[in-house]
Amino acid sequence: MTLILKQLFSLLRLLNSDTGTNQIAAGVACGLILGFAPMLSLQALLVFVCMFLFRIQIGAALTSAFFFALVAWLFDPVSHVVGSAILETPSLQSLFTALYNMPLVPLTRFYNSVVMGAGVASILLAPLVFFGSKRLIEAYRVKVVERFKSSPFWKLWSSTSFFKWYATYDKFHG
Amino acid sequence: MDKPVKKQGAIRFEAVIPMAIVVGLVVLYFSLFFDSHLRRGLEYAATQGNGAEVDIGRVKTSVFGASVLIADVQMTDPEQPQQNRVQIGELRFRMLWDALLRGKIMIDEAVIEDVQIATARQRAGYVLPPEPEQADDGPSATDKMLAQMKQEFSGNVVGDLAAIAAGADPAAQLKETGDLKSSAYLAGLKQSQDETEQQWRARIDALPKGDDFKALRTRLGKVQLKDFKDVAQVQASVKELQSIRDEFDAMSKPVGEAGSKLTGDMGALRTSFADLEKVAREDVRGLQSRMHLPSLDTATLSRALFGMDVLGKLQQARGYMNQAREYIPAKGAPKAKPKKIHKGHDYAFGRPKAYPAFWLRRAAITSTLPGGKGLSGEILDVATDQSLVGRPLVATLKGDFPQQGVSGVKAELVIDHRNAEPLERVNLQVGNYAVAGRSLVNSESVTLAFAKAQAATGFVAELRGDKVDMRLSNRFGATAFETGAKSAVVREMMAASVAGLNAVTMDARVSGAWSDLDLSLSTNLADALAKGMGRYLQAKMDEARKRIESIVNDRIGEQKQRLLARQGELEARYQSQLAERKAQVDKMRAELDGARNELDKRKNAAVDSQKQNLKQEAGKLLDSWRR
Repeated sequence: MTLILKQLFSLLRLLNSDTGTNQIAAGVACGLILGFAPMLSLQALLVFVCMFLFRIQIGAALTSAFFFALVAWLFDPVSHVVGSAILETPSLQSLFTALYNMPLVPLTRFYNSVVMGAGVASILLAPLVFFGSKRLIEAYRVKVVERFKSSPFWKLWSSTSFFKWYATYDKFHG
Repeated sequence: MDKPVKKQGAIRFEAVIPMAIVVGLVVLYFSLFFDSHLRRGLEYAATQGNGAEVDIGRVKTSVFGASVLIADVQMTDPEQPQQNRVQIGELRFRMLWDALLRGKIMIDEAVIEDVQIATARQRAGYVLPPEPEQADDGPSATDKMLAQMKQEFSGNVVGDLAAIAAGADPAAQLKETGDLKSSAYLAGLKQSQDETEQQWRARIDALPKGDDFKALRTRLGKVQLKDFKDVAQVQASVKELQSIRDEFDAMSKPVGEAGSKLTGDMGALRTSFADLEKVAREDVRGLQSRMHLPSLDTATLSRALFGMDVLGKLQQARGYMNQAREYIPAKGAPKAKPKKIHKGHDYAFGRPKAYPAFWLRRAAITSTLPGGKGLSGEILDVATDQSLVGRPLVATLKGDFPQQGVSGVKAELVIDHRNAEPLERVNLQVGNYAVAGRSLVNSESVTLAFAKAQAATGFVAELRGDKVDMRLSNRFGATAFETGAKSAVVREMMAASVAGLNAVTMDARVSGAWSDLDLSLSTNLADALAKGMGRYLQAKMDEARKRIESIVNDRIGEQKQRLLARQGELEARYQSQLAERKAQVDKMRAELDGARNELDKRKNAAVDSQKQNLKQEAGKLLDSWRR
């Protein structure tokens, strides 16, 4: 829980800083794959390992996973139709048969219509979400953070002695 | 707040320790808590499948060995929650890691030890409430059929008979007969008569009358029938006469047709009167049922005594069949719509010699008891995809349950879903088991039960596609009956009926499609009861039945006579009117036939004289040439 909270605070800090855009965007893209995949599946485990191993913003990944899981749940009927169509494609039968009988691959549950539909959608959408979220973060920093920092309220707040004390504290202990 | 973030590499080295902690926690969980959680999960799933509480004493798993041990399994009997349906001492098996890595479960050999049936529970197990019926599709034809059978068998035929024997007058209960079907039928019949009368009135009016032939007669009078000067005049008369004939035929045709139509319409009404008898009999049966006046025939009594037993077995067989077909789909079976759309549908892409999702190759069942008695059997090839495995599920069991007093158990179950038409076959024989206090009739006025008996059972069922063929045969020997009744007469009647009946046999067969089942059931107990009760009841029942018949006849008799009289009157009226029209037509036809004959005669004479003249002239010409 501490780790998650720390990551969430770190997400807020990163969002409001000038750096870490790729980390957050990668986190959102990983969250998309996590949200669209079943919790107990090989692909979810792989994404988790990647999140821990590489410098992907875990807070962003978990927050967006929660959001995308809701979206995936709403689109399950569509995923079922898409997945069924893919799994019933005659030209792919030999590929699916090979995958189905391979070690480990069936643990992805690719043979389930909803998992296949949602999985294909998440893989197709992941690059779009990565670049899209990057653009959004940049736009957010320009249009929201900068504007907020130049507002009279922020100027007043940042000139208080409490804020100055906190800034000093954060510099040494944050 | 805008503290610059430190530049860091792509790999998060500082996460090694948290990850190691996470892995450690997972290992700790599997070592300490997994077995307990798995036991609870299995208990929940098994309870859902069994329909009543299932308790599991101990579960032990080994991750590296992929082995599971489940001990002390108690499955509550939903019918008798105080006892277990089955109790298993120990169940252990080992799964193949090769299959597990492919997401499949493959068990080469499982051992099931110390199997017992009907054991007492320390406390009553809870029974799950019955599942609500699916509202979207409504009950199927089979559900309706089974519900109808249940309603029939749960009726208290013997109790009703006993009430009559005790002095109840069923006909006296019939204060108000309500609307009879035959009254409604007679109302319909009257309406048909009204409509027929109206139609025939219009039809007779539309038929040609004598005056309608006047114009034809005038034209006929003008036709030249003699004194022809040449053949052309004859031809003109023939043509005119034919034209009159054609017109007459067109006019008189409906008269001819009306005869056969009248016969048909009146015949249909008479048939309707004949059908009234059937409807009246239905009314009598309906009133009999309302008065609880049952039949004393052996078929009805057999169904009342053992119908519920047979129905129970049938429903049980259907439940197991549905489960087998759900979890082991037949080859080429249509893909079932996912029960929950969020779960989707699992596709199988097996190939020969591949693992199905689940495959238990062999489970040995052993249960050795002191004295060498016990149970032995095996379950072969429990697989979710039989066409992949190439073998049907076969389970055999042989032995005794001495603690429960059950011996000579032989059972064989075959589930063959390798083809498009699924087949389930079960053959169960129980050589001997004790029966005590088994109720056969339980009503306010009378109770009948086996005080004790030694029973043997044979149950053979074959379910193939949509077809059922089930035979149940019970033999109860050394029987002692327990009868109870408030009335001394009923007590005496029941005791006399079953006196000397040392053995009871019951044979039942259910066959046909699930939506249209044919049940035949016979038992010598019903014969004995019918004979014994008949001596006391036949006269009373005959009298009551006569009273019901007279009630129905009184209600419909007058109206029926009135309608019958009207029917006769209608038939007579329209037959006479039609005969009158027919006579006029016949008269006209005779006139036309006369004219035609006359004309034919004249025409032939004219042709003959013409021939004669030609002959004479030809003779003269030949003579002149010869000269």
